[in-house]
Amino acid sequence: MISSGESTGFAGSREGYLFLSLLQARTGTSLLRRMGDLSPDRLPEMSDRELGEHVKLSEKARRAFGELRREFDAEAVLGRLAQTGASAVTLADGGYPERLREMPDPPPALFVRGTIPEGPAVALVGSRKASVTGIENARELGRALGERGVCVVSGLALGIDAAAHEGALASGGPTAGVLGCGIDVIYPRRNRELFERVRGSGAVVSEYYLGEQPLPWRFPARNRVISGLSETVVVVEASEKSGALITARHALEAGQDVWSVPGPLRPPECRGSNRLLGDGAGVIWDVAEFVDAVAPEPARPVAPRALPMEELEEGELPQHEARVLLEVGFEATGVDVISGRSGVGMRELLPVLSMLELKGYVARDSGGSYSRRGR
Amino acid sequence: MPVEVEVDVGSGLPGFSIVGLPDTAVQEARERVKVAITNSGYKFPTRKVIVNLAPANLRKEGPAFDLPIALAVLAASGVVPPGSLAGSGIVGELSLDGGLRGVRGALSFSEGVDREGLRRLVVPRENAAEAASAGKVDVHGVGNLGEAVDLFRDGEPEPTYPAGSRPEESPAAVEPSPDDFADVAGQGYAKRALEVTAAGGHNVLLSGPPGSGKTMLGRRLPGILPPLTLAESIEVTKVYSSAGESNGALVKRRPFRAPHHTISTAGLAGGGSNPRPGEVSLAHHGVLFLDEFPEFSRGSLEVLRGPLEDGHVTISRVAASVTYPARTTLVCSMNPCPCGYAGDRRKACRCSAGQIERYQSRISGPLLDRVDIFVDVPRLTREELRSGEAAEPSEAVRGRVAEAREAQTARQGAPNAALSGRPLREFCALRGDSEALLSRAIDRMGLSGRGHDRILRVARTVADLAGKEEIAAEHVAEALNYRRSATFDL
Repeated sequence: MISSGESTGFAGSREGYLFLSLLQARTGTSLLRRMGDLSPDRLPEMSDRELGEHVKLSEKARRAFGELRREFDAEAVLGRLAQTGASAVTLADGGYPERLREMPDPPPALFVRGTIPEGPAVALVGSRKASVTGIENARELGRALGERGVCVVSGLALGIDAAAHEGALASGGPTAGVLGCGIDVIYPRRNRELFERVRGSGAVVSEYYLGEQPLPWRFPARNRVISGLSETVVVVEASEKSGALITARHALEAGQDVWSVPGPLRPPECRGSNRLLGDGAGVIWDVAEFVDAVAPEPARPVAPRALPMEELEEGELPQHEARVLLEVGFEATGVDVISGRSGVGMRELLPVLSMLELKGYVARDSGGSYSRRGR
Repeated sequence: MPVEVEVDVGSGLPGFSIVGLPDTAVQEARERVKVAITNSGYKFPTRKVIVNLAPANLRKEGPAFDLPIALAVLAASGVVPPGSLAGSGIVGELSLDGGLRGVRGALSFSEGVDREGLRRLVVPRENAAEAASAGKVDVHGVGNLGEAVDLFRDGEPEPTYPAGSRPEESPAAVEPSPDDFADVAGQGYAKRALEVTAAGGHNVLLSGPPGSGKTMLGRRLPGILPPLTLAESIEVTKVYSSAGESNGALVKRRPFRAPHHTISTAGLAGGGSNPRPGEVSLAHHGVLFLDEFPEFSRGSLEVLRGPLEDGHVTISRVAASVTYPARTTLVCSMNPCPCGYAGDRRKACRCSAGQIERYQSRISGPLLDRVDIFVDVPRLTREELRSGEAAEPSEAVRGRVAEAREAQTARQGAPNAALSGRPLREFCALRGDSEALLSRAIDRMGLSGRGHDRILRVARTVADLAGKEEIAAEHVAEALNYRRSATFDL
């Protein structure tokens, strides 16, 4: 088996790292960092007591280790992968993503469907529960990066993640989705179709072997892989408890650039990303400026995208539409508030709001409120 | 289905038996009839009495047979002139002192009597007004067995309500609904949406956090529907009467039914071995309000699909099948997420994206396809409470709704909500800029084919409310506001 890890300090073999990968998935703890100069190749022959001398093991981990030692068969593991059209890349392989290898705690192995795109990559992450504006921003950034041939890395979750992938796919650019479960487990279900499209334009990646379930602790761990596959991390919109902030922290620890999109002052959806700005993250105040900063040159030529979804009308708005627009805030504003402020009755107001929405001046959110948007 | 009561008083050991597939309540008529006859001062024949209820293969249920059996027995023993009973429809439950109690379905009895070509109907006094409201046969109301006997002893008795007279001429003088739109502060958007709902006979889904006033708004929908016509009022009364919920008079107010979400499928659609109309039929010509819509079981929502589509429910049993009408406006209300506060501007939602997704997927399905109008009802802030348009009373809204409904009846003979397929294309044809606007909305807002049809139907109603024959761009634009907002949708 190929062993090419000397220069980076990962001296094990492919089988050794596969074993370690499966062991970590079972114990839920990272052993790699704590193993020191113990080669993973020795693991399958060690007793749990011997391993315990090197690494402190919990009772559960000890049992998992014993079980895995009895069952482990590298051939079978790789065979099953090949059957599902996936492959494994371990720390022992030359094809292991370099940026990820340099992370403090890289996964021993990655399981991949499709091909991890080479070249520059930017992670676009954020909350699952996002505002319409957040979703639009993610899509817009994904598209702009895709047009420069920059790979958009995200987590294939609902909300910001899905929108980021969508944007990249719409531009025809490369994209990679990192999962917190086995790559044959589609979670969340609604993303099934997106899942296939991401695989077609890049790769679906996970450090968890086939069939592993999306357990809660796996998502924070997954976030370090997202940041490790990228040069830059962008938090598009995140609440204060969002896992996207974990991705940002991993990126900061690894010395990567972190950017964030400013959001309005009050909505809880934006507090995490706004706070990141306060802590010194790069401010994305203009999409073009941001893209120029992270990808000055097109990484690879990309076919010019089809016409944008909406063609904005030029020229001035009719007076009554302009009057209503003045009363729509940047934060979600209820229809009744707009009516009260503008003094326009409901019957006249509702058609005007639809027109403003169609012209791209306002967006309607899930609660039926309107907010202004950039054109 | 008419039931003939035959009595034979013959020789043999004294006894009293009822044949002809009677149920327990009918069997027990023996005791009630015997005691009631004695207590009314007549003599029960001390011979072998056999009562036959024909046709023999139909199961007879309920206590309404007491009075005809008693009168037939008295006719057989000569108290009532034999032959005088022929040509009369008789129903009534006896009490032991010979008094009469009301029965279920008096209005249906009078229609049945008319259908059979009989000339009069004898009913307990408390049912007389109801039975007479159809105005087709002579109705005699009697208070006890003695009065009934006198009626048949008298050659040409004066009917309480002669055919053609109606105790209450027309329900057009509707009782005003106790819940008025003017009581609701603010919520101009939701009120306008309900006005459109009422005008087109559409079904509607109200979504909003707890305390936003969804129930309050839903309750006020019947009040802005046009008044019941006499024919509608009779239909509603018949349903209520067969459910035993009639108070004797014609129903003059549009029904509002709000069953709890734990209701069984039979309770909702109707059923039982002795078939009874369900809530969907009791809401006939009115409003069926399903509060906490996602909490209803999938099964019970599924049974509503047919009735909502066909406008009636048929309950088939071994003995017979019964069809109840079920033309109703469906109003569903729901919280946007399990905790209720997704999209609220003041309280943060505690649900995860996955929880919300599961919650919302619970409501998608065939029933929701029948909903044309989706309204987000926000909780009011102080600013909104103050700034709402001057609250308009239901009566004013009802006037506009009635005009819009008339326009629809004149044009297509049905409310806009019923339009689909070719009639939809014909009556909701768009021209020029309204067509352009809709196709742009389809691209921009990602409307499905079904969504497209909804917008057309609702735009048609908005145009009708404005008194316009042609659907203009502004009507389409308003209709777009009532589309389903995509919560966390991509």
